[in-house]
Amino acid sequence: MSYLFMLPYLVLLFMFGVFPVLYAFGLSFFDTIDMVFWGLTNYEFAFNDFRVPKSAVNVLTFVSLWVSLTVLGVAVLSLMLDSLGRRSATTLRTIFFLPGAVTSSAIVVLWLFVLDPSVSPFQSIFHLVGWDTRQNVISGLSFAGVFAIMAYFSASGGWIVVFGGALSSLPTEVMEAARIDGANRFQLATRIKLPMIWRSVVLMAILSFAAGLQLFVEPQLMSLAGQQFSQVDWSLNQLAFQYAFKMGDFGASAALSTLLVGTSIAIALIIIFATKFYTID
Amino acid sequence: MSSRAAWPRISIGRFFVFAFLAFAVCFYGIPLLWLFIAGTRSEGSLFSDPPFTIGTWDVFVRTWTNLTTYNNFQIGTWAINSLIYSVGGVALSLIASIPAGYVLALSEFPGRKLILVVTLIAMITPSTAVVLPIFLEMNLLGLNNTYAGLVLATGFFPFGVYLAYIYFSSALPKGVMDSARVDGCNRFQLFTRIALPLARPIVALVAFFSFLANWSNYFLAFVLLSDDKLYNLPVGLTALVSGSGALSNLPANDVPIKKPEVILAAVLVVLPVFLVFIVAQRFVRSGMLSGAEKG
Repeated sequence: MSYLFMLPYLVLLFMFGVFPVLYAFGLSFFDTIDMVFWGLTNYEFAFNDFRVPKSAVNVLTFVSLWVSLTVLGVAVLSLMLDSLGRRSATTLRTIFFLPGAVTSSAIVVLWLFVLDPSVSPFQSIFHLVGWDTRQNVISGLSFAGVFAIMAYFSASGGWIVVFGGALSSLPTEVMEAARIDGANRFQLATRIKLPMIWRSVVLMAILSFAAGLQLFVEPQLMSLAGQQFSQVDWSLNQLAFQYAFKMGDFGASAALSTLLVGTSIAIALIIIFATKFYTID
Repeated sequence: MSSRAAWPRISIGRFFVFAFLAFAVCFYGIPLLWLFIAGTRSEGSLFSDPPFTIGTWDVFVRTWTNLTTYNNFQIGTWAINSLIYSVGGVALSLIASIPAGYVLALSEFPGRKLILVVTLIAMITPSTAVVLPIFLEMNLLGLNNTYAGLVLATGFFPFGVYLAYIYFSSALPKGVMDSARVDGCNRFQLFTRIALPLARPIVALVAFFSFLANWSNYFLAFVLLSDDKLYNLPVGLTALVSGSGALSNLPANDVPIKKPEVILAAVLVVLPVFLVFIVAQRFVRSGMLSGAEKG
């Protein structure tokens, strides 16, 4: 009976969770053009492709920028909001949260406008720095920086909302006691509140790191701004995509995808078993 | 300590806080505000007028007509597709995840722990990581370029299962379930008559997150769909931009899709999510916390 309730989910879990991962794993050991087993050749191919280490460096640069931006921005803004009155904090939180509606391709399209000094609402700032074309702005910020800003813009507001809730549920006795002991707002934020939400900050960093490794949409869509911005193999996921779609080599694509999925699964296992973030009693 | 001595010390700290918050408001708010205003302006106005000039009704109507009639009302097709994918994906994810979360929370059966762990792995693994494996699988099954392929793939929503599992394990009063069982409810009735009516908030919450994921789905849709009649809005938006070169600042061509039309198309992609955000805001806030940290 229990299995009957579970049936639709189990079918989907198998079809789109378990099977694709195993299938890609299996495929990665085959020459998919002639369908013959050839061991680790696809992995060798990927490791010998000079673009792979380059993309790996790109992705790691992006991830370190984005994760630091997220940890700093979200933590600082959440703590600052928590020191304000309830009503103004709620209003500001809403403003930070709404860009979350701008996702996937719309983020890139919006930011390609925002980063273009000829139409941007920030044009006066760009001109001040001496960036007069989109080319100037993008090379000034670097591709990794541009993608980090795009991702931060859309993804951080949700976290600020989550942290707002976490901070407001901290025990008031502790706050009261600290205040009586003479802690000012800054000390209250850095010495009392921050340590109490630190675990959640770490979780946010790990989840952002895992998501960032899979970067695809932002670099893939840079070509919308014109050929000179096109970055078809900037990230690892883009390379896996190139293997399958431009070279028709599904085996090599499966090998690179397997490595990427494997990293994500390893991170997930660490979160589940080495920390107590999620309950699975 | 006199109040005059205390005043400047507080104000420096507070000034810093307010300045930083003001900067953040600009960073988050200005691009969004600009997006909604810019769709009313003409191409010329975008370049020459100040950034927050509001356009005219006539310009807006002309832009709207250019956009909607382009390529035989193509954007309408994409909007309808987006609706089909989203409604289908949300419905399927609810049908699959609510009963699954319920059983995982309230019953003991062999394999329960394994299913929970696999669900968590699938939930923490970014959905983008399995896009290419899913494409390879769909290729095998011949489901590329079909409505069913994308709906089935997005109906798999482990986060929804986890949310439902947490909700049923903490929020369902055990006493209610017990007395219903004593009154002769069988397990199926127990779910449909007792658990489901009490689970309305979690159904809404799962539907909300599933809708967000589906409506803005780009990578999977981009990879699975190559027929432009099947595109959803996010993929359609990029097809529109790359087909017209509207964002590349190159010499003009005669495609009627210029910057204002692209901005309006982007607004179309964003607006439904935006409205859902505003309407569902309060309950999202409470729901995100009752569920998990993943948002």
